[in-house]
Amino acid sequence: MTPKLSEDVKRAIMVFIMATIVFTMLAYVAITPRPREQFFQIYVLGETGMAERYYPENNSDIIVGRVVKWYVGTTNFMGSVQYVVIKVKLANSTIKAPDDVNHVPSPAPVLLEFRKVLTNNDTWEFPFIWVMKEVVGDRGVVSPTILEINNVKIRNSHVSALRGCNLRIVFELWTYDPQSDSFVFGWRTGAEQRVAWLQMWFNATRPGTSL
Amino acid sequence: MLPVVVTALLAVAFSYTSSTSTSYGSPEGTDRANVEFRAAILAVREAETAGADEGQLRILTEQLNSVLWMIERAERLALQGDLEGAAVQADRSVEVSKGVVLEASRVRDGASLRTYYGKVLTFGMVPVASLLVTAITHFGWKWRRRHELDRLMRMEIKGVKEPEEET
Repeated sequence: MTPKLSEDVKRAIMVFIMATIVFTMLAYVAITPRPREQFFQIYVLGETGMAERYYPENNSDIIVGRVVKWYVGTTNFMGSVQYVVIKVKLANSTIKAPDDVNHVPSPAPVLLEFRKVLTNNDTWEFPFIWVMKEVVGDRGVVSPTILEINNVKIRNSHVSALRGCNLRIVFELWTYDPQSDSFVFGWRTGAEQRVAWLQMWFNATRPGTSL
Repeated sequence: MLPVVVTALLAVAFSYTSSTSTSYGSPEGTDRANVEFRAAILAVREAETAGADEGQLRILTEQLNSVLWMIERAERLALQGDLEGAAVQADRSVEVSKGVVLEASRVRDGASLRTYYGKVLTFGMVPVASLLVTAITHFGWKWRRRHELDRLMRMEIKGVKEPEEET
């Protein structure tokens, strides 16, 4: 014969079961990290460190030897340590820009790469000082053949523009993907891929010439 | 005689290739530095996933960035033709990368232990909290019942005074 439980004991057992269920759920929520949107931010600022004065005298016609100073920055909101590369490319108006939809980088030649490992919520900002050291013109086609970026001399033999107009410097954000052991344009969040890039337009001119 | 000579020549060739493949001034040298660097990144990420705190991760990341700087310098020196300097830089970067891997695994072990104890403590608190709630509810219920009974026992039958008949 089984002993009959009193009403008090029955009630206590019910309360205990209910409280256990509720506290287990609370504990699970407490130890499970909340899903957050994973993304990067990339920006270019002018010489004052603000979104202004991107060109000397606010004139995008850049003369040979004229120093242009920008600040390039990126912030990691991926929720983990990330190895990032900012690829700097030189393009004209006909070279394709990066494709946001298909995540294809610009086919423009890479001038320079900046690499850094960033912790979560970390911002990396560095000065980007560039100057055209040599500009060659041939039958109206102007090409900045020697550029200097942060005291590194770079030769360009691929990109030219009619009268030096509508040249652009493209900044692309690439990240290291441990799964494929390679760099990918943009970043991967789950099954999705996203990209971030910027471009700054300018016209290359030689002293004594006007567009 | 011929097989002996061929074997000896092969042995010399092999020893030459194996010694040159470790020289850091060559692209293979910086490649190895890059491989070690990537291993270090993965180790730091593992430590992060295990729950390493922000301060420890920041220190490891700074070390990774110093490795990155060394590799870039090695590549620049190699391009300039200074293979010896490049080899020294690449060597140092490999050493630091290995150090980062060791430190990251130590941090990861500590962090996973801490995370494990944290989980055990959190879930261990569940029955304790449930018991506490049950006890509070049980005794609260009893007290309330007793209070209700007391109130009931204190009740008096009050006679309703009928209005006196008018004389």
